[in-house]
Amino acid sequence: MEHARHVFRAVLVLVVVVAAVSIGRGFLVPPSYGLHGPYRYDNVQEQMDVRAPRHGGVAACAACHAAQADKRTAGGHRTVSCEACHGPLARHVAEGKRSAAMPVDRSYLLCARCHRKVLGRPEGFPQVVLERHLQDQQVAGPVEGKVCLDCHDPHSPKP
Amino acid sequence: MDDTTPSTTPSRRAFLGGALRLAGGAWVLFSGGPLADALATAGAPGEGYDWTEHRYAYLIDTEKCIGCGSCARACAAENDVPDGFFRTWIERYVVGVEGSHVDSPNGGKDGFPPVQVGFEPTKAFFVPKLCNHCKETPCIQVCPVGASYRTKDGMVLVDGERCIGCAYCVQACPYGSRFLDPVTHTAEKCTWCYHRVTKGLRPACVEVCPTGTRMFGDMKRDGDPVRHAIEHDRVAILQGHLLTEPQCFYLHLDKEVR
Repeated sequence: MEHARHVFRAVLVLVVVVAAVSIGRGFLVPPSYGLHGPYRYDNVQEQMDVRAPRHGGVAACAACHAAQADKRTAGGHRTVSCEACHGPLARHVAEGKRSAAMPVDRSYLLCARCHRKVLGRPEGFPQVVLERHLQDQQVAGPVEGKVCLDCHDPHSPKP
Repeated sequence: MDDTTPSTTPSRRAFLGGALRLAGGAWVLFSGGPLADALATAGAPGEGYDWTEHRYAYLIDTEKCIGCGSCARACAAENDVPDGFFRTWIERYVVGVEGSHVDSPNGGKDGFPPVQVGFEPTKAFFVPKLCNHCKETPCIQVCPVGASYRTKDGMVLVDGERCIGCAYCVQACPYGSRFLDPVTHTAEKCTWCYHRVTKGLRPACVEVCPTGTRMFGDMKRDGDPVRHAIEHDRVAILQGHLLTEPQCFYLHLDKEVR
């Protein structure tokens, strides 16, 4: 059995190479890599859990602020989400409880973001040239501060 | 040694080479076999969420957009997008016979100021933009480390742990949807709020859109309004000639929009 030694050696080399490759691969390649394609599959779950959702939707706001929510639903801003003006729920609520005061922007700039007349808005959309609107409504004083809220209720604005 | 046998017996070198090749082939065959499949079904993502039951799509009606920027602000708040970078943004197009003008001050986050252009504008409109979550996406193809991938429910995501920050994908994206995060130095992009939609919520930008410009839908859900619109209405996509198969669809899109 002189020749058998050659075979034995070859098999030994093969086993060593295969073992080295599998051990090396185990260290270099993440366990979930390649399960569904050339990417780390665990990341799908990580992306789902990356953070808790911060915007809660109108229903979440209405749970505590029913009066404002009802007013909104009946008025001209019924399609405007609370969080569009107020910001994300997570700034104000944590784990179902009030965590901080909601910062409220009462500046005319908030209204102007949607209603200032600028090139690009659809023609049918209600928009005003701020200075001219004040003149037309015979409101003295400059466009500043919470001048819009002096006349308009943002939860149920009249045109 | 017999003089007649050497022609039929392979040399030691040939034998070793052949054996190595065979082992490599067997390795490839078995590594993607039943074991991998078993592991795959065992580790399905998200309890109560099956990613094979959804395929998301996005619909934007540019005629309704008022350029308020609520979407871009909500996106930044929802996803901790650093200032000066955008996962979604709004562009304003002012078009006339003699010329056209496009602007997007701070991505439209603060709304749009009045604008003066050096020609007589005949039409003007806003176009919200975001990652198109392409089916045949160049950004995944160029990633050298397998950090970019497309999920079974149709999102193009980036694995920040794998990403080496080479920015090939930032260059490859024809829509400018990706950027390198200034803190982590890895590629970042719109995820269609994967952490929200897998919980049954809408993406933040859709949630706050006051005019219904932005709509999010599921192509595998019967009676889905977005699916209905994509299937029955005249919808357009951005840069269709690149054959990236975007999954953001546009209604009333103007030819000026790239």
